[in-house]
Amino acid sequence: MKKLVLCALLLGLLLQTSCGKKEEAAGDGRTVVTFWHSFVSSTVPALNELIAKFEKENPAIQIRAQYIPTGDALIQKLITSVQSKTAPDISWVHSDYLQDLVEADAIYKMDDFIAGPDGLSEAEMADIYPALIQYASWRGTLYSMPMEATNLALLYNRDLFRKAGLDPDRPPQDWRELHEYAKKLTVDADGDGIFEQVGFSLPVFPATGPLGGWMVWQWLPFLWQAGGELINEEQTSVLYNSEAGVAALRLWQEIYRDLKLSSYTTDYDVAFASQRQAMALDGPWNLPRYATLLKHFDWGFAPLPQGPAKKATIIGGEYLTIFKQSKHPAEAWKFIKWIIQPENQAFWAIKSSYLPINHSVLQVPEFQSYLAAHPAFKVFVDELEYSLASRPIDFHGLEITRHVAEALEKATVGDQDPAAALNESAQKSNALLQSAAK
Amino acid sequence: MTVTRRTKTASNRLQGRDGLHALLFLSPTLVIFTTFVIFPVFFSFYLSFHQWNMFSSQTSFVGLANYSRMLRDPEFWTVVKNTLVYTLGTVPLNMAISLLVAFMLNQKVFGKKFLRTAFFAPVIISPVAAAVIWRWMYDPNFGLVNYMLSFAGIRGPNWLNESHSAMFALILMAVWKTMGTNMVLFSAGLQGIPDTYYEAAEIDGAGAWTKFWRITVPLLSPTTFFIMVMSLISSFQAFDVVYVLTSGGPLGSTKVLVFYLYEHAFKFFEMGYASAIAYFLFITLIILTLLQIKFMKSRV
Repeated sequence: MKKLVLCALLLGLLLQTSCGKKEEAAGDGRTVVTFWHSFVSSTVPALNELIAKFEKENPAIQIRAQYIPTGDALIQKLITSVQSKTAPDISWVHSDYLQDLVEADAIYKMDDFIAGPDGLSEAEMADIYPALIQYASWRGTLYSMPMEATNLALLYNRDLFRKAGLDPDRPPQDWRELHEYAKKLTVDADGDGIFEQVGFSLPVFPATGPLGGWMVWQWLPFLWQAGGELINEEQTSVLYNSEAGVAALRLWQEIYRDLKLSSYTTDYDVAFASQRQAMALDGPWNLPRYATLLKHFDWGFAPLPQGPAKKATIIGGEYLTIFKQSKHPAEAWKFIKWIIQPENQAFWAIKSSYLPINHSVLQVPEFQSYLAAHPAFKVFVDELEYSLASRPIDFHGLEITRHVAEALEKATVGDQDPAAALNESAQKSNALLQSAAK
Repeated sequence: MTVTRRTKTASNRLQGRDGLHALLFLSPTLVIFTTFVIFPVFFSFYLSFHQWNMFSSQTSFVGLANYSRMLRDPEFWTVVKNTLVYTLGTVPLNMAISLLVAFMLNQKVFGKKFLRTAFFAPVIISPVAAAVIWRWMYDPNFGLVNYMLSFAGIRGPNWLNESHSAMFALILMAVWKTMGTNMVLFSAGLQGIPDTYYEAAEIDGAGAWTKFWRITVPLLSPTTFFIMVMSLISSFQAFDVVYVLTSGGPLGSTKVLVFYLYEHAFKFFEMGYASAIAYFLFITLIILTLLQIKFMKSRV
């Protein structure tokens, strides 16, 4: 009988530890705020510094940051945690998933805090780039707060420009020049029909893969530069198969074909670092890596070339949400509010090479001197003035993105007619929008 | 008489306190097995008639809508076709190569143990790590495969980015990865064949080919059958390698059934539809296995 009791006790212990509630208190009386994110490992030291700064200024709160690899894994973990009532206080959420979280009533509206006693003034809200606010909202309501911004610019190898007889201080200004330079910088030294060096590469990935959405994200600036839009304002039909869309995709198709990118690597950073690629689309998050990786040659960033209609680049970022299961929403908000203060944004931008989310950071003296010393970073900051956010899609956003990706893949890898590929894709997307409207 | 009574007492005792003990010791496994295997099997069957996005606490009944959507989706049939191509590519190739290697390693070869370990090594490498390595090897510019081919004056394709070569590249890697298990099974089967048969055949003047065809193959058939059923099932379930190596691309040419299921379950959160796909896979595999049993019964 004794043994039986012992066994039962052990079993109980086993179940207790496996299903036990997570540890709440910090042990020193501070309130613990859990924060889930997917920052790349090179950003984590900067994040730790940011958190240390916050904790120093707010001694009653401890931020417990937890890294969850990639956005896909993060959302899957969030779902399970919401179901099992173990959601974090704050989490990164990609705009595409806001709908699900709102419908499950899992997250707070940001207005609940902004209008509250420890809120934000209208001037403070207006200071944030409107494109970011648009992207952080779902159906016109703000459910998340941007933590930092990112956009795209043109990375180019200045040495290879010189070698090809191009002026490294005059990067391509428009689509025609981009295409022309790309061809000029493409080299087939031994004449065997295989390019040893390409002038440019496009982020073409399998539409079905984890990078499909990433490809679409980088195509959108081209769509806007041609004067196009992804979807109409009423969200009743998609617009990417317009003339502008066809022009943008035709540019991709021609570059893809002329540079024979189908037989070239998609690891553009490897190709660029080994000086076998002269230009690439890239974002500010790689700057800390490049400072050491690209030491052996002269490189720089330039604004994205202008399209037939206008200058444009895409803005993105990471957005913080507060979960309704949180026991400390006030403290969680305190952290978010603290992060978006201009001086902390300046600190965070300098440490991480992400872009600030508000205009007034440009007035912070440390930030100004940092910009003067870092011309590559300055390109991205200057671009913020004409950075656009993709209009959030209320329903079936992920599927529609997939359909766009399919069209991009068909026109490049499949070498199909851009108009036909886009029309076929738009038809599928519109069917989804109609089914959602019912 | 005494013997039966003793067994009876023993079984009585097992039903009593010993039974309780046994149950107690088994309970962790039982709990885990029920929670993570039995329950999901029934739950996903239930889900296949419902619509559920995992977030909400409610599921809505949709009848057979998930199944009819599946059968009407042209993409689904492309995916089924891709899965069949993958299976027909991997299973026979895998079995032929692993039998060949097992047969050769069953002879007196120098460094037999080392070779067997070397052939088995890919099995224990994590599939994701292996796929990442193969992705580098297949890289058109920096990859080992095209570098090797260049010595033979062949210009290799961009393996993973061309519709006609991606599936082949995938099959090649899958065979490399899973061949080891089958090789070990075949080796065990080969060692189970008594030497006396071969000796008798030699006395009768049989050549190497006759011996292989008349003795090895028939006596190995239970192993062959087992391997065939298992490889068929696992190739229908291929996912991890596809995910890392090609992500279903280019142009959906390597999108297989479980990848399609994963997409709907964990990307679009259509758990009902994904469950319907899972049950389609389950029923297909049962039918295939039953057919094999029926067909092979006379020969095994």
